[in-house]
Amino acid sequence: MASMRDLKKRMQATQKTQQITKAMHMVSAAKLKKAERAIVAFRPLTKKLKVVLSRVLSSDRDLGHPILSGRETHQTVYILVSSDRGLAGAFNNRLFKAFEAHIEQAHDSKDEFLVAALGYKAHRFAQRRKYRLLHRDVIPMRDDVQFVDFQSITDTFLTGYFSGAYDKIDVFYNHFINTLNQEIKHRTLVPLEDSQFLEAEDDDAPYNRLYYYEPNARQVLYQLLPMYVEHLLYGMILESKASEHASRMTAMQNATDNAEEVINELNLKYNRARQDAITRELTDIIGGAEAVK
Amino acid sequence: MQTIVITPSGELFNEEVDYVVVSSERTGEFEVLDNHAPLISAIDVGYLKLVRGDEVLFAVVINGAFEQRDSVVHVLAQEAHVGLDKQNALDHLNAVRKERLEENRRRTRDFLKAERELKENIREARASKT
Repeated sequence: MASMRDLKKRMQATQKTQQITKAMHMVSAAKLKKAERAIVAFRPLTKKLKVVLSRVLSSDRDLGHPILSGRETHQTVYILVSSDRGLAGAFNNRLFKAFEAHIEQAHDSKDEFLVAALGYKAHRFAQRRKYRLLHRDVIPMRDDVQFVDFQSITDTFLTGYFSGAYDKIDVFYNHFINTLNQEIKHRTLVPLEDSQFLEAEDDDAPYNRLYYYEPNARQVLYQLLPMYVEHLLYGMILESKASEHASRMTAMQNATDNAEEVINELNLKYNRARQDAITRELTDIIGGAEAVK
Repeated sequence: MQTIVITPSGELFNEEVDYVVVSSERTGEFEVLDNHAPLISAIDVGYLKLVRGDEVLFAVVINGAFEQRDSVVHVLAQEAHVGLDKQNALDHLNAVRKERLEENRRRTRDFLKAERELKENIREARASKT
């Protein structure tokens, strides 16, 4: 049986760990609230932009854009939206597993795709697996993520697509359902289906869809469509960020509970050891007293 | 005429104005008054001049969509800033962007450095041997 001192030490150590996990839980809870607010604030913009784009596209059926017309796929870029830090439960692992399962099924060799890793963890993962990376440098995923952080990166995605370096961009990310549930989603970012814009058309009367375009519908489309893609990706990043905090929150809550359990167990052992020592001392004293008689 | 400017972080501006002048680097400048016919336009780098009585405000916009219908103007901007004059607003927006990007770079650098040091420390402490 461990000595009382050892038990005490272990209890103290576990208590300290518990304090840390508790603090991390609270920090994540606060950050999750912020992330949820960011999602809510962001939604109207994408929704409205989608409606505007659907108006532009429905104005002239012949309008086309490279983003809308897919081509034969030789090279695919996979964007993995992960986190910078760990201790978030299965947040990153789940994503990587889903990605690997997809790769195994869809590709024969590593030359058929490139990986764009968002977040330090995905970067590390891609390096470990020796996937070809689109960006050599790490793309950080800050907790207080802002649109400007990813703008230049999304720009490079689209430039590569337009230049023909790759023919498809897919995204793997954690979709935020609620605090307890997150789901891995696999979505194609480029090319876009134009059918999704048709769905966005609200039930306005047709005459309400008549617009003037300044300077013309084509130019407006060429300006707005890349912008829409950037927004889509940013929306996914926000979802992923909220999922990360939710996942970390749950993981830390579990860790705190487990620590509590360990502490209780150790406490029981400690009390037993203490009682043991007292009994032994008492028997010694009584034995001594008997001997004196 | 109600004018709403929306950015990724939420609504930036939502007020009644008399008229709006939209200026974009690529497409030039136009003015929208109340009851204008429905109009959609795009802004690459430009500004909106929002006029109400004697008051004039400028909203600098980087990458945006402009929609006007039923006397409601929606401007969907990737980045925007409202200021009293356009140069100030643009300078402010650029300064904020620059600072943010610089901070990102610094953070990545620090993060990588901290990771290297941690690895070094773990190796030196021979933590796996104890």
